Amino acid sequence: MTRAHRILEFLWSGWSGLAALCLLAAVWQAGHEAYGPFILTSPLETIQAIGVLASSREAWEIAALTLQRAVSGFALVALAGTALGVAGGYSPATMRLVTPLITVLMGVPPIAWIVLAMIWFGGSDATVRVVIVISALPTVFMGAARGITTRDPVLDKMSEAFGAGAVRRFFGIGLRQTTTTLFPAFALALGTSFKVAVMAELLSNAGGIGGALAMARMNLDIAQALAWVSIAVILLIMVEYTLVQPVKSEIDRWRHAAQPWGVKR
Amino acid sequence: MNVLELSNVGHAYLGRTILEGINLRVAPGEIVALVGPSGCGKSTLAHIAAGLTAARSGHITRGYARHAMIFQDSALMPWATAAGNIDYALRLSGAKRRDRHARLVAVADHVALTSEDLAKYPIELSGGMRQRVAIARALAIQPDFMYFDEPFTALDVALRRRMQDLVIETCADGNLSGLFITHDLNEAARIAHRVAILDTRGNGILGHRSPPGSPRTRTDTQVFDWVQNALQGDPIFRHIHDVDERQIA
Ligand SMILES: Nc1ncnc2c1ncn2[C@@H]1O[C@H](COP(=O)(O)OP(=O)(O)OP(=O)(O)O)[C@@H](O)[C@H]1O
Ligand SMILES: [Mg+2]
Repeated sequence: MTRAHRILEFLWSGWSGLAALCLLAAVWQAGHEAYGPFILTSPLETIQAIGVLASSREAWEIAALTLQRAVSGFALVALAGTALGVAGGYSPATMRLVTPLITVLMGVPPIAWIVLAMIWFGGSDATVRVVIVISALPTVFMGAARGITTRDPVLDKMSEAFGAGAVRRFFGIGLRQTTTTLFPAFALALGTSFKVAVMAELLSNAGGIGGALAMARMNLDIAQALAWVSIAVILLIMVEYTLVQPVKSEIDRWRHAAQPWGVKR
Repeated sequence: MNVLELSNVGHAYLGRTILEGINLRVAPGEIVALVGPSGCGKSTLAHIAAGLTAARSGHITRGYARHAMIFQDSALMPWATAAGNIDYALRLSGAKRRDRHARLVAVADHVALTSEDLAKYPIELSGGMRQRVAIARALAIQPDFMYFDEPFTALDVALRRRMQDLVIETCADGNLSGLFITHDLNEAARIAHRVAILDTRGNGILGHRSPPGSPRTRTDTQVFDWVQNALQGDPIFRHIHDVDERQIA
């Protein structure tokens, strides 16, 4: 399959996404008609509110701030989680040491971390990033570690038999095999990053989309609140499809090789 | 001077002894077939000889310049095409970019892979094709010593003969020695200068037998007769078709 082929297929898959969005909008509209505009504004009004925000410079800055925090937090957690996970995958001793810590991290609710981080760092970027790293670390760690532990040992031997040194074996064979489990973990972690960024902003008064949501709540402005939520989702989708998906589809090309083009299987 | 010499090699997995007191020599230009029932430790021995697994005891001396291995379960990277897999070995061998392509085309032709097959990923290939890619990968780097781990089991009769001939020819040109693991005594008798029989429990090499003449001059009748005699009259081959007795015990 050529690259142009794959890009076309990728764009084609957008239709199913669009269909799902239209379905959501229909349910939303039904809810709006049942409960009235003070509980749920209609999708159209929300889109109008987004349009108004899109023409304001200030709104762009707010969105950019959240985007910057979520993406930088994600980058941190992707690096740290992958490094720890790979180390854990190769060394059972590290794995045994880190696993209980991961369980602890998973057991403490993110809200608790937000409170702690607020006390430590105040309403700053650092607060948001720290909470993102702590919330998404278990996912990335597990993804990387599982990828290493479930790798095919025969491939390591093959590569060694043909003269690859430890470094080449690691990058060409070991790390390459983690992608199966690592990329789904990245996608999850990216979602967590956005959710946690907005939540941490809202609670720690750190501006950004979370801050804007807090404002909307004070003014009981449903349209504004829904508009900001939609913007956060749009940002997430944009980052996912420009950052994670292209790399993933390039790396997973062989998996799709045996599947026919289009919807039929 | 031997190209490969194992003296008193032993190995254990998780405390269970697999190999014990193995002595084996391969002379330059010689193909030694290693036969033995399933699970007796043939693959493990090949991995130890090639330095992929550390032996628990014993000495290994390697007198060759470059080895290659055809693995029992082809060991192809699923994310690379057939051509990519072959090229991987070529790159590791330090071949120049220009020469790599020429080598790739040449070996693909040797193992009867079309350029269409070369563009496919391993999941798109049949078992026999995958095995041929693995054979091509090993041949591509022009080793002077080859570890064959049951390389032709997934091939049909005609292709199998063709691959065996390829090995016999390459070796007769004086460029290749090797350790050839197989279950199939017919194959061993066709290809090898000497057949080494591994004990059912990996407890040493039971002995060596040499089929008549050299692999190139041996006729099919000679091979057939030799195998018949070996299986019927030679007690050393008694357990060759047994299953893994360790697992039953
Ligand atoms: N990684 C491993 N860990 C533990 N035991 C192993 C491992 N690899 C092989 N064994 C054991 O070592 C023994 C020898 O295995 P080996 O693969 O060398 O057999 P083999 O002679 O090549 O068999 P076959 O002809 O079926 O390929 C077997 O009993 C197997 O269970
Ligand atoms: Mg084997």
